Amino acid sequence: MNKKSFSPDMLKLLSAGGIVVLLLALVPLLTARTDILTWLTFTLLYVTLSQSWNIIGGYTGQQNLGHAAFFGIGALVARYLWLYEIPLPLALLAGSLAAATFAIIIGFPAFRLKGVYFIIGTLVLAEILRIIFDTVLPRASVLPSRLLNTYSLTPRYYLILVIAVLAVAAVYWISRSKFGLGLMAIRENEDAAEASGVNTQKQKLLAFLVSTFMSGLAGGTYAYYASAAQPGYLFSAVWTFDAVIIVFVGGVGTIMGPVIGSVFFVLLQQLLSLYLPGGIHVLVFGILFILVVLFLPGGLIGLWKKVTGPDSKTREGSR
Amino acid sequence: MGMITQLLAQTVVNGITVGALYGLAAVGLSLTFGVMKMLNIAHGEFLMLGGYLAFWLLTLRGIDPFLSVPLVAVALFLLGMICYKFLFAGIARFEEETKVKNSLLVGFGLFLVIPQIARLLWTGDVRSITPPYSGESFPFLNVRVAYVPLGGLAITVAVILALHLVLTKTYFGKSVRGTSENWKAAKLMGINVDRTYLITFAIGLALAGVSGVLVGLTQALTPDVGMEWTLKALIVVVLAGIGSVGGAFFAGLILGVVEAVGAIFMGPYAVALGLVIFLLILMLRPQGLFGNE
Amino acid sequence: MLEVKNLLKSFGGLVAVKDLDLTVSEGEIIGLIGPNGSGKTTLFNLISGFLKPDHGSIRFNTGDITGLKPHRICRNGIARTFQLTKPFGGMTALQNVMVGRMYGVEQVGSIRQAEEECEKILEFVGLGGRGLFLASSFNIVDRKRLEIARALATKPKLLLLDEMMSGLTHTEMKEALQLVRATGQSGITLIVVEHVMKAILDVSSRLIVLNHGEKIAEGKPQEVVRNEKVIEAYLGE
Repeated sequence: MNKKSFSPDMLKLLSAGGIVVLLLALVPLLTARTDILTWLTFTLLYVTLSQSWNIIGGYTGQQNLGHAAFFGIGALVARYLWLYEIPLPLALLAGSLAAATFAIIIGFPAFRLKGVYFIIGTLVLAEILRIIFDTVLPRASVLPSRLLNTYSLTPRYYLILVIAVLAVAAVYWISRSKFGLGLMAIRENEDAAEASGVNTQKQKLLAFLVSTFMSGLAGGTYAYYASAAQPGYLFSAVWTFDAVIIVFVGGVGTIMGPVIGSVFFVLLQQLLSLYLPGGIHVLVFGILFILVVLFLPGGLIGLWKKVTGPDSKTREGSR
Repeated sequence: MGMITQLLAQTVVNGITVGALYGLAAVGLSLTFGVMKMLNIAHGEFLMLGGYLAFWLLTLRGIDPFLSVPLVAVALFLLGMICYKFLFAGIARFEEETKVKNSLLVGFGLFLVIPQIARLLWTGDVRSITPPYSGESFPFLNVRVAYVPLGGLAITVAVILALHLVLTKTYFGKSVRGTSENWKAAKLMGINVDRTYLITFAIGLALAGVSGVLVGLTQALTPDVGMEWTLKALIVVVLAGIGSVGGAFFAGLILGVVEAVGAIFMGPYAVALGLVIFLLILMLRPQGLFGNE
Repeated sequence: MLEVKNLLKSFGGLVAVKDLDLTVSEGEIIGLIGPNGSGKTTLFNLISGFLKPDHGSIRFNTGDITGLKPHRICRNGIARTFQLTKPFGGMTALQNVMVGRMYGVEQVGSIRQAEEECEKILEFVGLGGRGLFLASSFNIVDRKRLEIARALATKPKLLLLDEMMSGLTHTEMKEALQLVRATGQSGITLIVVEHVMKAILDVSSRLIVLNHGEKIAEGKPQEVVRNEKVIEAYLGE
């Protein structure tokens, strides 16, 4: 947590990141293969989604299992607005704001729940939403022909690329800010954080707002991407679980953890689905998840640090 | 008037049957959570495994599902011991908050893994445990009572009574209660906390397995039923109050009846109703209906 | 500086603190003693905002702080340590102290300036140079030091120390006492809860004795120790 933003390590990291983003930006110009673009799109989508959960679950330590609800709200609002000819940026913004608004509404009561009750409560809340939307809007929303005819993956790819970069940048900023310090303090020991002057209630809500806004944005982007979207599916708990798995396996509470995790996740999903029945990647990741929880709490990033780092006792808090 | 009361009565009976199942599913979870402060979020997965075991015992060996209940119980008990030993034992030492969080995480991992394995082994086809006397029923007062659900209810009551006896009359039961109140003190008094946890966990899974058999009998089994049942069990546990084992049974009945009656008026939203009630209880009376923390 | 009046707190049927009146003047080092269960930690929790009194008031420097949330009380200038230390394990020692500095009384924006000050605080408590180590790697003595450092970083006028000495060896206790004295000399008023008699007699300017949630004696250490009621309270334990 040093403002050594221009230390040699930081510069190396930033330039490496910059190169990666540049390369990613060039991909659509180099290939027309939609499968590669789709794969990258999903990876970037998961980066955004998992980073959004990382903020509330990884940095603040509040394991919100209702994350899919905000993804769904963002997706639903954005999609319908866009289908009704509202310009896309506004639709996305509206979707994210809707998600964040819902977060404010349930945030106050939700955070009064402690520990496991919070986790179960948020899960149940998301399930309620899913059931309601599944029943109220059972049919998939399909793009009208005017949009289907002009459907192109490229703009969607660039959109999600920009959003993913912003998501990572946001987490980076948080991890190095006073706000992030407070969040981590809450994660480590809420009572001690309060006693040290951290307004835990306010900070949790703020983190929640940022997290859900980002999740809603991810949802909106997905809604823009998907030619057909069934509302119930947008609220499916799978979105939460995928995000949680990715964050933990990648490295919970780190900047690059969710990025690495997302890459792995989608890669594995694509590779395994070629040879083995669908869903196998969940099995593999589930096992990885258990291994991480029991033996490797720092995830893949932690593993990498252990292998390459000199001294396991010395670590920057923005792990 | 007669028709409506009959419909209502039948619905309530159905609700009780399902509710008893909810209760049984919840009892195992309540026990584990209350005693060990570990929330096995994969509880439903073991329920599913128990159901499949009974299914295969019937299909491949012709063993009547009601007879396979003790077999399933033993099998899941052993599985529980293994799972505890390798996955949860390390967590037992932690403070309560960390224990709960970590057990949730491990359980979550199992929740990811087990259905996939089940799907690989047995495909995603819907299975139903249908012994020869499946559809038959007998009239009682104004309603028809089917043999299978009645048997299920009987087993549920028997199991819960047995559990109650074990918890109150045996030494093991005493050590369970002592450990759940204060494991440090229990240890000082000579209670083998590790062994108590091990056996409690195993019993929890055994109960889940037995519920699974009944679910297979009265509903259907797929590799994915786990989550739905974990959720139901969770709701009932919170409704009843953590640690209230007997209360779990009654809370289950209540949930079952509420859902059944709710379905008449609200259709598919009835399930959501149950969840909403759950959230309300969580917010307003977190110690549940029967708990006293 | 601190004025507690008529404080009452009960849990269910159990009265933890009753009719408690208490004043603390600037610069004092108050020793708060009493047998187990006499309400010392409850009092701390009440002053620091972790518990709300059923009745009574707490005033600090002419402001009413009764029932305020702990972080507000911290920002008003009262810091505390915990009996069982609560470090931010996954963060470095420096970060631990930084939390206190940046969220305490003088909330600062410049991280670099905050860092420098926090390094000095770590030195003050004897953890100089250990800033980059994870708090979870510290032994119990260093954790206590870290706890004090973090509390000091909030720039309190009043510091509540909750059983610092428990679990320390004789030498460690002497060092801890030195730290307590040094803290007092730096201008911070202290209320110290302690079980280890010798330590507290040594360092306090005034003693307050609780039993069953009520104040049974107060005054100079040498006098209080000879007070009949006090002796009875401890022997009756």
